[in-house]
Amino acid sequence: MTTYIERFPAEARVIRSTFFTAFIALGIGALFGLLQVLHRTDVHRLVDSADYYHILTIHGVLLALTFTIFFLAGVFTWGLTTSLDRGVVDVRFTWAWYGLMVGGTALAAIPMFGGLIDGIDMSAGVLFTFYAPLQAHPLFYLGLALFIIGTWLAGADWIWTYLAWRRENPDERIPLPTFMVLTTTLFWYLSSLGVAIAVVVFLLPWSLGLLEQVNPLLTRTLFWYFGHPVVYFWLMPTYMLWYVLLPKVAGGKLFSDPLARVVFVLFLLLSTPTGIHHQYLDPGIAEGFKFIAMTNTMFLLLPSLLTAFTVVASVEHGARQRGGTGYLGWLGALPWRDPVFTGMALAGLMFAAAGFSGMVNAGMNINYLVHNTFWIVGHFHLTVGTAVALTFMAVTYWLLPQITGKPIWSRSVGLAQVVTWFVGMTLMSNAMHRGGLSGVPRRTAEPQYENFDFTPAFGTMAELDAGVVIGGSLLFLSAVLFLGNVFVSLTGGKDLTSIPENAYAEALSGAEDGPLILDNLKLWLVIAVLLVVLTYALPIGAIIDRGGLLGPGGSPYPLVVESGRAISIGLGEVVA
Amino acid sequence: MRISPGALLVLIAVSIPFIVQSRTVAAFIGLDMSVWQMIALGTVTISAIILWAVWPEKWLPGRPKLEEG
Repeated sequence: MTTYIERFPAEARVIRSTFFTAFIALGIGALFGLLQVLHRTDVHRLVDSADYYHILTIHGVLLALTFTIFFLAGVFTWGLTTSLDRGVVDVRFTWAWYGLMVGGTALAAIPMFGGLIDGIDMSAGVLFTFYAPLQAHPLFYLGLALFIIGTWLAGADWIWTYLAWRRENPDERIPLPTFMVLTTTLFWYLSSLGVAIAVVVFLLPWSLGLLEQVNPLLTRTLFWYFGHPVVYFWLMPTYMLWYVLLPKVAGGKLFSDPLARVVFVLFLLLSTPTGIHHQYLDPGIAEGFKFIAMTNTMFLLLPSLLTAFTVVASVEHGARQRGGTGYLGWLGALPWRDPVFTGMALAGLMFAAAGFSGMVNAGMNINYLVHNTFWIVGHFHLTVGTAVALTFMAVTYWLLPQITGKPIWSRSVGLAQVVTWFVGMTLMSNAMHRGGLSGVPRRTAEPQYENFDFTPAFGTMAELDAGVVIGGSLLFLSAVLFLGNVFVSLTGGKDLTSIPENAYAEALSGAEDGPLILDNLKLWLVIAVLLVVLTYALPIGAIIDRGGLLGPGGSPYPLVVESGRAISIGLGEVVA
Repeated sequence: MRISPGALLVLIAVSIPFIVQSRTVAAFIGLDMSVWQMIALGTVTISAIILWAVWPEKWLPGRPKLEEG
């Protein structure tokens, strides 16, 4: 039996660093999340409401970008090296991209936290969705740019290592975890291009005073070009863990390797040309382009449904290997006392609910009901806040011993932690969804107004506020339990004999059962680029044509009004 | 016990979304359920789950015993 740290000690050091950086971000982000729920519900307002937006920005950036991306960078390095059974080509390069990501985060953090300190004349209260017209200090944009470049170099490191393996193994199929890392990396290059252009070409020069103005609709569109796909940058490593680790801890094998490859190819193709569905209410983008984005988004349900089928089938196989029988009786044979399994299983269950609320968001007509309401906040706390975050925390209980050689301090505390997260998120996101249906806005410090009360379909606003506060407090407690368990584990001694072998799930139907074309990544990348060009070339061209490359912005009226006026004029001429 | 303590904990946790959403379902069919009624329903449901889980398995002869998780 060999643990990861014995086989790859140099890579284990880098992964430890990425995880620890992610955990620091998780701790600060969770604390600021608690402050938010207390502030919004008027239970306790520690800061002035004007400063709420700094807290919201720190919460969003640290959890949605820093925690997730540092963690997934470590997971991908683990998956790549484990499945190729070789180390990275040059670990100094691996440290270089890690250092660049840390440096970028530190630079962006200075104005983010500076906004909360009176003596510091810097601010970045522009929220996680940092498009114009809100403007941050240049350090914020510079830090983000360096962070993104760091992720690109990480991708280059993984591709470089794969190519070295390919030279040594010219006839082998790409191992599944490596296939998943490569498709995600290619997708990330394609989708992060939008935010890189927005930051480097427009927002950074604008914040430095080199540009007098920018086109807000253009920067919004470029942000959402990245802003929705980034969800899949969090989800694809999560899916990888559901495919390669969950069946293993369940005691079985992956149901189908080729089906998993199909899912990742579909994500590479379809994840990027979808961002306009965040802009259904934006004037200046024709309805037809929004309809295309909606269609693409609905197609994304396919890989998620394929995943639900494959993962549940794999888990059922594991349960039956453990003695489970019957139509549903096999569920009782699963290792529910293991926080690794239970955390991932509960995360997957929550993701099903997130898929349903996501369909509402994606539909052009019913999106108008929930657009910019608390519903959206409830939705993404189910996706990134549970499917991704809970999976990452659960997997830590398996990966941390692998990369440190130290067993987890308490698996019982781990089990309590993942269950607490699930219950807390149930209460909080339910209240958020219901509040959104009643019209409660998001991104608001004080959603309490004079002479006006929101009217929930049933119950009262006080009940919904209670749900948010109790749920948010349970989530914070869960984060504290997680970080405490990790910290105490790290203070313990090494015990390699108690740690399972570093491996991932074998497949019932292996790569050899799938066609070779699945591994043709160049083909899939070309098709992905074509789809992006087809979806975005015309709307971006129209935005620049109407509002100018550097502003002042799009028409204040929806295009459909102009079309309607043209039709009415035409009809008038006919009648006349 | 019919199921492991871990499985019981998870079963109780998974029942909570259903209990919380029972108010939504009730509202759809015109039943206005208060928070306290929902809490009462939840208490009964969770108590029933615990009772079922800790009831000795010998009361159900012929049921195969599952491996503990």
